[in-house]
Amino acid sequence: MSCSPFDLRDYFLKELPDPEGRQVEAHVRACQPCREELERLRLTENALFSLRDEEIPQRIAFVSDKIFEPSPARRWWNAFWGSGARLGFAAAAILAIAIVVRPVGRVAYLPGPPAQPPATVVQTISDAEIQSRVDAAVTKAVAQVEARQTEQTKQLVADLEDTRKRLLLAAAEYDFSQKRSGTLRASAFSMPAEPEGAVR
Amino acid sequence: MIFRAVEDADLIRQAARGSVEAFNLLVSRWDKRVYNYLLRITRNREDALDLTQDVFLKAYQNLRKLEDVGRFSPWLYRIAHNEAYSMFRKRRPEADVAELEPEATENGITVGGSPVFPMELGLAVASALERLSPDQREAVVLKIYQGFKFEEMSEILGCPVSTVKSRLYTALELLKAELAPIKTRGVS
Repeated sequence: MSCSPFDLRDYFLKELPDPEGRQVEAHVRACQPCREELERLRLTENALFSLRDEEIPQRIAFVSDKIFEPSPARRWWNAFWGSGARLGFAAAAILAIAIVVRPVGRVAYLPGPPAQPPATVVQTISDAEIQSRVDAAVTKAVAQVEARQTEQTKQLVADLEDTRKRLLLAAAEYDFSQKRSGTLRASAFSMPAEPEGAVR
Repeated sequence: MIFRAVEDADLIRQAARGSVEAFNLLVSRWDKRVYNYLLRITRNREDALDLTQDVFLKAYQNLRKLEDVGRFSPWLYRIAHNEAYSMFRKRRPEADVAELEPEATENGITVGGSPVFPMELGLAVASALERLSPDQREAVVLKIYQGFKFEEMSEILGCPVSTVKSRLYTALELLKAELAPIKTRGVS
C-alpha cells in the first residue's frame, strides 16, 4: 500500500489536479517505495504500448444518394422537431398564443347570461305562441312592404304631378311665344295708312 | 488540439445538417481509433471492422441528437461499446452481461489462426490482457490506449466513476504483476 498523500495511480494516470500532483511529486522524491511503485506503473504502461494500433483494413466512407436523402424542407422539419430547445420554444409560443387568444374569445360571451340549451327553448314555447309570433312577424313584414310601396306610389305621383306642371308651363310658354310671333308677322305685312294727298 | 476540436465541431454540425462529405471527413479522423478499441475488446478483426461500420452508421443516423458537440468522442465510444456488447449478447444470449466474454483465443488476437502480435513482449501483453475480465480489459483500453478521463469512461461504460476506477486499478495490479518483471528483464 502506498504512503503517498494522494493515490499514486491517480497521479500516474494524470487524473489529479495540479496542486495534489505537486504534493505527490514532492513525496515521491523523498519516498523510495513510492518511487519504485511509480516506476513499476511506468514499466507496465510501456509494455502495454508495445501493442501498436493497427491500420483499419478497409476505410469507411458513406455515399451520398439523392434518392435516400430527405428534401431540404424535410431536413428542416426533422431538425426542428429533433431539437429539444426548438421544440420547447414552439410549445412556449403556442402557449403564449393560447393565453392571449383565450381571454379575447371569452369577452364576447361575458356580458350575456349563460345560454340555455336549444332543446329546452323549443320545449317551453307552445305551438300557438309560435303561430302568433309567426303571424306577427308576417304582419310586420307585410306592413313594411305596404308602407314601402305606398311611399313609392306617393313619390311616383308627386313626380308625375311635377312633370305635368312642367309640361303645362312649357305649353303655356310655347303658346305665348307663338302668339307673339304671329303678332309681329301681322304687323310686318300690314303697311301703315298713307296720308291722303301724298305723292308717289 | 483546440483548433482540431473546433474543426471536429464544425464537421459535426455540417454532418448533422445532412452533409455526407463532412461526415466522411469526421469518419476518416476517428475510424482507426474506434476500430482499434473494438479490436481490443472483441479480439477479432472481422468483428471489429463490421462493428466499426455499424458504429459510424448509427452515429450518422443519430448525430442530430448529440446536443454537446464537445462530447462527441465519449458519445461515439458509447455507441461502439453498446454495439460490441449487443453482439456479445446475440452470440451468447443466455450469459449474464457481467460475464460476457469475447471468444477466447490462446495467443491473443487472431485471424484465421495467425497471431496478430508476433513479438515476445507483444505476446506477453496479449496474454496478460487475455487474463483480464472483459470489463477490466475495456477499462484498460479506454484509459491507456484511448486516453479518456474517468468521467468520460463513466459516460461510455454507463457506470459510476468509482466502478471505473475499481475495474481499472484491479486490472493494473494484474498487469503490473505480469508485465513489469518482463519489462525489467529487458525483453522487447
